[in-house]
Amino acid sequence: MTWLLLLGMALITFVNRYLFFSTAIYYSPGVRLRRFLSYSSYSVLTAIWAPIIFRFDGQSQLQFAGIDYLLAAVLAGLLSFYRVASIIVVVLSTALFFLIRYYLSWSL
Amino acid sequence: MFQLRSHESASDSARQSLTRQAILDTIPLSIAVIPWGMLTGALAIEAGFSAFQAQLMSLIVFAGAAQLSAITLLTAGSSFSSIFASTFVISSRHLLYSITFRQHVEALPLSSRLVIGFLLTDEMFAVSEAHSNRSRSFSPKFAIVSGVTFYLFWNLATLLGIIAGEYFVKLDSLGLDFAIVATFIAMTFAELRRYPVLIAVLMSGLTAVLLKPILADSYIIIAALVGMFSAYIFADVQASQDQQASS
Repeated sequence: MTWLLLLGMALITFVNRYLFFSTAIYYSPGVRLRRFLSYSSYSVLTAIWAPIIFRFDGQSQLQFAGIDYLLAAVLAGLLSFYRVASIIVVVLSTALFFLIRYYLSWSL
Repeated sequence: MFQLRSHESASDSARQSLTRQAILDTIPLSIAVIPWGMLTGALAIEAGFSAFQAQLMSLIVFAGAAQLSAITLLTAGSSFSSIFASTFVISSRHLLYSITFRQHVEALPLSSRLVIGFLLTDEMFAVSEAHSNRSRSFSPKFAIVSGVTFYLFWNLATLLGIIAGEYFVKLDSLGLDFAIVATFIAMTFAELRRYPVLIAVLMSGLTAVLLKPILADSYIIIAALVGMFSAYIFADVQASQDQQASS
């Protein structure tokens, strides 16, 4: 039975990924749809990272993942905004993140 | 003759640097998913999968969130149909990646389309889109190298989880998920000066944070559509105001 589950899941995820690559679909996105889609990467990536930092339990107020996440994310945001190369942004902000964690684990 | 050789070596090094760039760009995200890969392997074994089945899941399904949710549902005694439904909802955001990439891949041979389709994850999409924006053109080779790099990391992490079990899963609290935050911020904030992009980021981020507690399976795709729609409308209004101002 597990085999059926694995095959079914593989099929579902593959179809979702491949669907619009198929030439069986005679369709080409028009100018307006293309403009709509041009915002897809910004929107999806933000929808993935934002809830890692900001947590909302559905009842009370908004919470942060922690000062380490928050400060390092602010650094990443500032560096990226001023167009520093991505790899440098990732290395510097991750370094700050682990420095803060290291500092906090020693001072507490 | 000499010129020909130097031309060849130049294109050789360009090819090498494209491969190296794709691997380098994918590494932070690959490291970030190691805890999730290990967790997936360890939990699959606990849910009663054989080691081979647990590995096969990562080899053929290759979708972290969908795999973790399926294993959790299976352990809770859910039916296959509800697991399939959850798999569909969670992986539906790939439809968005698929339609976004369509214009880049429709002229490629079937084999390339199948491979890029199979390897199309959040991470590969993010890294390839960023590369396309930088170089002003989509590179199938870049996408495939990035996808294969991520595939290897995901499957090795699953293997580690299968071998080590939940013992090592405390990696979870190491904060490796910050690499996801850093990489995705690096890929979006450079364009934040464009107001529609700013709107897309604000609206999708806000929607995702608010919806996550109630719609654990579908909040990403819904939030993304809200962000895209807001940005689209905003750009429309902006354009019509500019027209009015100039006329």
